[in-house]
Amino acid sequence: MKPDIPSVLAELAGLIVRNAAPGIADTDRASALGLSAALMGIAAGALDGMAHHLVQENRRARALLGEVGSDEDLHISALSVENARLRQALIVRHTEAEGSDQALEATIWLELAASTVWRMRPGSPV
Amino acid sequence: MSHPLEPRLASYIAGRMPQARGIGVEGLSRISGGASRETYRFVLSWTEGGQSLSRKLILRRDPPASLIDTERRIEFEAYRAFYGTTVPVPEMLWLEEGSESLDHPFFIAQELEGYQAAPALLWTPPYLDTHLKLAQAKWSILGQIARADPAELGLDQVMTAVTPADCATRELNYWEGVLNEDEAEPLPITRAAIRWLRANPPPPPAQIRVVHGDYRTGNFLYDTDGVIHGVLDWEMAHLGDPLEDLGWSLNPVWSFGRELAGGLVTSEQAVAIWEAASDMTANLAALHWWTLFNCVKGQAIWISSARAFIDGGNREPIMVYPPWALQNAQDRAILKVMGKL
Repeated sequence: MKPDIPSVLAELAGLIVRNAAPGIADTDRASALGLSAALMGIAAGALDGMAHHLVQENRRARALLGEVGSDEDLHISALSVENARLRQALIVRHTEAEGSDQALEATIWLELAASTVWRMRPGSPV
Repeated sequence: MSHPLEPRLASYIAGRMPQARGIGVEGLSRISGGASRETYRFVLSWTEGGQSLSRKLILRRDPPASLIDTERRIEFEAYRAFYGTTVPVPEMLWLEEGSESLDHPFFIAQELEGYQAAPALLWTPPYLDTHLKLAQAKWSILGQIARADPAELGLDQVMTAVTPADCATRELNYWEGVLNEDEAEPLPITRAAIRWLRANPPPPPAQIRVVHGDYRTGNFLYDTDGVIHGVLDWEMAHLGDPLEDLGWSLNPVWSFGRELAGGLVTSEQAVAIWEAASDMTANLAALHWWTLFNCVKGQAIWISSARAFIDGGNREPIMVYPPWALQNAQDRAILKVMGKL
């Protein structure tokens, strides 16, 4: 999830403080706070399961790539770095499989589709 | 309290209306939602020939960093070209490309007041009953844009020329370049879509036309009768394949979860309306290519928005909303268009 949740929440904290001050135009304040609330809602919905899903997804990606290993650092930031490494490797493997290994290609597509399910946000249009 | 931009805006307009006296700007307020430009409405008042006059206007100003980099002159000229035609657009008044007056470039236009733009309202009464009529208007207008001759509109003088053989590759190169530059994390689904697009290029269009570039539910003003009064957000307008716009309108992220094109009608209905209005036939293989391409383009836009926030160019919450709310949905849209969902 980019930008990272902590950096966004930190920015929103500053924004809310600024909008709590007098002298802000009502419409500017309403716009800033309304969007901030929407983003905080998305962050709240994503946070609880994020580490769990990243560990699961990293595990499946390693299996697809024939790698061994596990996630030792369970900070979301560390899991996300490893997830990015594995997904980049998956792009390479997917490209290699296209036209040469239909079974692997189909398996990668299934994994990619699964990767969008836990990332869905409430009200997702697709 | 008054907005600090009001006196500066009044000073700028005074320089453009030498016949007017007592120019005043009041009620300047930001309209939420615009991420590529800051949009404000205001009331201009002045005295002329002994008469007190006023007019409701719109200010569109460049932000410090945007989710899309666009030429405001092209946007301004596109509006101007279609003003007074069957494609409804607001009247453009002044374009300022310098940063001295209001810190960033901007333009000022007529406000089309009393209409709605928000898609969410369409799923509530009384708008629920207008969907078929609104869809008829929406894709008819798009067909009329496709039908218009860019040279007759004078837009071949301001928009970059492209040949029929090159327009698909040019667009794909551009948006893949944006992804390469701005992505903050690997995008395996989007990259797979790009590989497919490269391997399966579409046939060239019969004619090069004006492409609005962001023609979707949410970018036009509508009323309770299903009439469209203004097509907005021309900042990505360019010359190209008219199917590009049709494909953008069929991007599943604009279905708003309703499994319908633009949340209004089936894709088949939308295409039929467009074909009747444009007097063109949509090659279905080409349309599939352009629909998938537009999923990639959408992803590039959401990713750029994240990049502008991450790099500190624009830390407004509106820059975070598109990637958080739409990036994964756009991936799912790609899967859907490719038959993988």
